[in-house]
Amino acid sequence: MRAVVRVLAVGLFLMQTNSWAHHAFAAEYDQSKPVRLEGKVTMMEWINPHSWIHMDVVGPDGKVVSWMIEGGSPNIIVRRGFTKKSLEPGTEIIVEGYLAKNGQAKANGGIITFKDGRKLFVGGSNPDNPENQQKK
Amino acid sequence: MMKCWRVHLCMAVIIAALVPAVMLAQQAPVKSYTPPKTPWGDPDLQGMWPSTDMLGVPLQRPDNLGERAFLTDEEYAQREAQAQRTAAADREDFVKPDAKAGINPPSHWAERGRPQRQASLIVDPPNGKMPPLTAEAQRREEARAAASKTRGPHDSWEDHPFYDRCISRGILGSIIPHIYNNGVQIIQQPGYVAVRYEMIHETRIIPLDGRPHAGSSIRSYMGDARGHWEGNTLVVETTNFLGDRNGIGVNGVGTPYSASLRVIERLTRMDSTTLNYEATIDDPKTWTRPWKIFMPLKSDPDYQLLEYACHEGNYALADILSGARAAEKADEEAAKKQSK
Repeated sequence: MRAVVRVLAVGLFLMQTNSWAHHAFAAEYDQSKPVRLEGKVTMMEWINPHSWIHMDVVGPDGKVVSWMIEGGSPNIIVRRGFTKKSLEPGTEIIVEGYLAKNGQAKANGGIITFKDGRKLFVGGSNPDNPENQQKK
Repeated sequence: MMKCWRVHLCMAVIIAALVPAVMLAQQAPVKSYTPPKTPWGDPDLQGMWPSTDMLGVPLQRPDNLGERAFLTDEEYAQREAQAQRTAAADREDFVKPDAKAGINPPSHWAERGRPQRQASLIVDPPNGKMPPLTAEAQRREEARAAASKTRGPHDSWEDHPFYDRCISRGILGSIIPHIYNNGVQIIQQPGYVAVRYEMIHETRIIPLDGRPHAGSSIRSYMGDARGHWEGNTLVVETTNFLGDRNGIGVNGVGTPYSASLRVIERLTRMDSTTLNYEATIDDPKTWTRPWKIFMPLKSDPDYQLLEYACHEGNYALADILSGARAAEKADEEAAKKQSK
């Protein structure tokens, strides 16, 4: 299976920048550098303030690059039903996000899906969501 | 002025507008409820009281709501419809084909809260907004703005809020609802109340024995709290804050308060699942009058207060600073090329 790294130079669309998560993401990531990564999970770091998904991505030159994808606070993703078994090493995922400004192999995880297109995170913590009521 | 073409309809509107405002203004219980007692006889406030339900209520009231403390039925119905749309979107298994990744954290990181009728967390002044700054505070803000013009936004970690730096959000910043991790736990023992905040894992130990506050040279981010009971209401007075650091807003961001800040919190159980939380903010060196925040906190016995070891993985701060240095270097190199 061919893994792809594509850094899209076009497709810039400005989102409102704010600091509603732990820090302002527009300060950490470059809005002019969208990135799409396809690869295999090697590890998930369950750390605060934000979790990090580590994944190996095979570049167009055949070299494997280890990427880090910033995820949600472990506390909130646990509340959404996400567990240590939700993303086992070896799982193939697709990440769409933006590159880190510091040039490291890091990106925010704007959209994360499994290979078949299913969302990695589903459910939501809305208390009116019937799935969450069942969870309780 | 709006013409009321039916007097009884007009009266109904006025009554509907006034009743909740009166209920809110009266912090004494409007209905008789006797809270459970601890084995040593204090009102029992113990439990999990996350502020998540109030997430959609802004700290300051939007201009278009004026002095209305509560939304109309129509406005509230719009909030409910929006919440249902969000819940439906949450249940989607697949990303929409035309979805585009944003640079901000995706929606799935966030709690959703519950639609509320309350128009703002600030309930006094009646316009739901922070009072004007004092002349002294305005001078401080001007000096701060002037100093920030002489440097970049990410020159140092010190250019970042205390929350970004995993230091503290202050006592109000720790309870004003944020998109996630709004856990608040109250634990009591004879002579003490402890309040634990999930983020950034702080605990306030509040003595109830009438001892005086610490000396004025003892200062901290969370201040020095002393509590007492007024009937079934826990009253907590907190002083001895470190000034010129945190503000009063989500995550402690906002105009920094001074070391003269004094916060009076009143916590009253209204029924088996509701704990009214009211905080009066009095800082005569920063605001021209005291002001008040109000939130009915809802019990959530299933809420787990998970550890939030903030600095463990705070890679982002280093990423932001190194990103800014990389941008500066790129600019320098571009300038060199141009000058050649």
